[in-house]
Amino acid sequence: MKIIKRDKLKDLLNSFAKNAQTLAPVKENDTIKFLPWKGQGEIDLSQNALLPPKDLLFPQTEVMYRYTDGGVQGEITDVAAAAERQVIFGIRPCDVRSLTMMDDVFMTKGYEDDYYKSKRENTILISLGCNEPQPTCFCTSMGIDMMEADGADIVMYDLGEKLALEPKTDAGEQLLNDVDVLEDGAAEKPVAKECQLKADAEGLAEKLAQMFHHSYWEDLSRTCIGCGTCTYLCPTCHCFDIRRKNIGEEGFQFRCWDSCMFSEYTRMAGGHNPRPSKKERVRNRFLHKLQYFPERYGKVACVGCGRCVGKCPVNIDITRIIGELREVSVDE
Amino acid sequence: MINVQQLRDRAKELLESGEVKYVFGWRKGTFWYQSPPVIISKAEDADKLIWDEFCLNNLSKYLLDYKNLDGKIAIFVKGCDSRGVNRLIQDQQVKRESVVLIGLPCPGMKDPQLAREMGESKLNEVPKIEKCAQCLTPNPVEYDELMGDEVAAGLAVEERFVRVQDLESKSADEKYEFWQQQYDKCIRCFACRNVCPACNCRECCFDQSEPEWLGKRVVTAENQFFALTRAMHVAGRCIECGECERVCPMDIPIMSLNKKIIKDINGLFGEYDAGVNVEDKPPLGRFDENDPEEFM
Amino acid sequence: MSNSVAKQLEEHPLVPMVGEVSKIVDETPDVKTFHIYYEQGKPFTPMPGQVAMLSLLSVGEAMFSVRGVDENHLEFSLKKTGILTDALHEIEEGQKVGVRGPYGNGFPIDFCKGKDMLFIGMGIGLAPVRTMIYHCINNREDYGKMQIIYGARSPQDLVFKEDLFENWHKVPNCGVDVTVDRGDDDWDGNVGFVPPFVEGLAPNPENTVAIICGPPIGIKFTLPVLEKLGFTNDQIITTLEMRMKCGIGKCGRCNIGSCYVCLDGPVFSLEQLKVMPDEY
Repeated sequence: MKIIKRDKLKDLLNSFAKNAQTLAPVKENDTIKFLPWKGQGEIDLSQNALLPPKDLLFPQTEVMYRYTDGGVQGEITDVAAAAERQVIFGIRPCDVRSLTMMDDVFMTKGYEDDYYKSKRENTILISLGCNEPQPTCFCTSMGIDMMEADGADIVMYDLGEKLALEPKTDAGEQLLNDVDVLEDGAAEKPVAKECQLKADAEGLAEKLAQMFHHSYWEDLSRTCIGCGTCTYLCPTCHCFDIRRKNIGEEGFQFRCWDSCMFSEYTRMAGGHNPRPSKKERVRNRFLHKLQYFPERYGKVACVGCGRCVGKCPVNIDITRIIGELREVSVDE
Repeated sequence: MINVQQLRDRAKELLESGEVKYVFGWRKGTFWYQSPPVIISKAEDADKLIWDEFCLNNLSKYLLDYKNLDGKIAIFVKGCDSRGVNRLIQDQQVKRESVVLIGLPCPGMKDPQLAREMGESKLNEVPKIEKCAQCLTPNPVEYDELMGDEVAAGLAVEERFVRVQDLESKSADEKYEFWQQQYDKCIRCFACRNVCPACNCRECCFDQSEPEWLGKRVVTAENQFFALTRAMHVAGRCIECGECERVCPMDIPIMSLNKKIIKDINGLFGEYDAGVNVEDKPPLGRFDENDPEEFM
Repeated sequence: MSNSVAKQLEEHPLVPMVGEVSKIVDETPDVKTFHIYYEQGKPFTPMPGQVAMLSLLSVGEAMFSVRGVDENHLEFSLKKTGILTDALHEIEEGQKVGVRGPYGNGFPIDFCKGKDMLFIGMGIGLAPVRTMIYHCINNREDYGKMQIIYGARSPQDLVFKEDLFENWHKVPNCGVDVTVDRGDDDWDGNVGFVPPFVEGLAPNPENTVAIICGPPIGIKFTLPVLEKLGFTNDQIITTLEMRMKCGIGKCGRCNIGSCYVCLDGPVFSLEQLKVMPDEY
């Protein structure tokens, strides 16, 4: 185990940044976000970043390839290059778990998405255990250990004045060996305070499979305003659109986050829309998290980070929904 | 404050008698500092209704979801909700006779974020949320029945644009830089648009793909186009409910932009408060020979 | 398939292979068939019923049924329905276009082997059905009797006329029956909607697989007819259309329940569809 004093944290990040793009939670304009560490800024480890770090592996807007297209001629001129090495420092256990779900989506089931894979394989994760959850956190309900993070290369604990780092993979070990600002040491793992919010989604998928036509969805969707806040702040939501931008005879194909909450999301050429109203869209979002993803990948697609609970403008709260879905009768 | 039981009884009455099919109100949310909207259709659900310091959502926008309803809707309205309903009536989205407006004079709602930080024991000390601190019309401007007594007038007119002063003191370059920074944060969730009673087009231009007015890339240029187009579209029609700013997950000060435009329009075309009087035509929706045209 | 092509497909499954439109056939006033030529050999050999993304680089891409014609050609038949198909209907021979794929499961060939085949196509829905018809023709000894039933709105809207009225009549043990919703002065064939037309023809369900494709309303009214004739749900196969973006099960758009149409479809038996949410 390695130890670093909090006031030396910048030195540590500076060392990482010498060899790899290093992303750390920084407070900017009152918001905590993962930003490239350039030696300056206010590192804020007090609570999780507002935007999930999925953006670092699956950017909100990402160029896929460039082309020329003039008259009848057209060709692909450039395919986005492989990713550079990056270190994500201070990623929370919930968000580490979410990346394992991103891995399932982008790297299994027949196709590997090269844009994601390239970044993922060049990413080193340094997790930070959560000593104290936010009121909106419920990760422990989703089977997450607030201190540990399966999938992190290095697990980090907050000891107040100090931080302890424990490598979990060879890549993590290597990274720590390459820096000289750390001291060897031992430390007691902190004991996390309990999450106040709870949700039990265990076994719910089977019940939901019988509830597609239930009136619950109509009731639930009434106050939804159909914005994309929940999906964009969600670390497991991964839907995207593919579009293009032309500049004269050149252009590029890009992908960008999309949201199943948006009305035009499933609208087809010709106008038919299999999910024409809020009811179908809200239902899809929650069934995707609680039934479809578990059926496809064996996991509930929620990590209990609480971002949607905190930011939904109308308090559509997945923990309440899970509770209500448990209670309602399948037969209505 | 108004007795919650009074609200519930009235809602129950309206639903039981069949006078209305739905009642829009607020319920208690996950946390003590949250009172989100609820739409009820059964009399027995009336007990879900509440009225407390956190009923800050504007309910008027939901009327659009029930445009084709055969029957009436009862909606509890604060000052801002009633202006939202007027806005929709003016835009011919809603018929006055299809809604029953139950007025609730509003003392101003409290800031849930600060409430969360300060704790429930200090509820009395929690300040008003910004949008309510900026309110000109705490009393409903339109209603069929009123519960409780009217509250004192809202913000003094001379304070209305205090927030814009800071913006106006900036140079053009500084303004540009300020808004670029703000809108670089935008993740294009469209919460601001979706919650806005002035945004009631059947199909929003931002959702159209033929032609594609707004590119889907979340980059400075597209975000600016989104911000400016939306600001200009609601110009003269913004009811100042502040919902856009409240729901923005990225804390973009959208109301500064709206207020600045309202100030300019008032300067150019005379005082106008959108949604206050349903008979008044929006300044950018009418022509007057005496309109100034120096800027053209 | 050339090595460089194989490499690109493997490394970048979302990047199209650019080919040249070598032939455009006007099928109907709003349907055209495009032959796309690859000098080094076509980038893939689609199975019948599979789909591929066709793109005009500067306009966009969309998923269509695809057929391999020969070593160098892929073929798509498209109806004008949106931005991309409108643009594709404007192009001329020689135009460069992109293709990526093949995607999806295709028709269940092993399941169909040794059985009689009933093909029902409506409108442009004949395009995917036709990929299986060609497969059966090319492997004629593997299949029993073939019966092809096709319906279009009017004589003008009949697609693949050469196949319908010449080529397929020459196939041994293969019947072709065509109907139109409304005839015209020159039309002396059958007139009437597909569902009653099928009922009148009364194909025998015994050891038969029915492959049906067309507009949702057409399918909806034909299924009860097939059921009445004695076809069971596992004997009825159809293909679904959903809006797709990636085609490889990542973008999340084309799900029906936990199925992705791009990966697990687009071909489903009625038996499968009956247990899926009816959200398509």
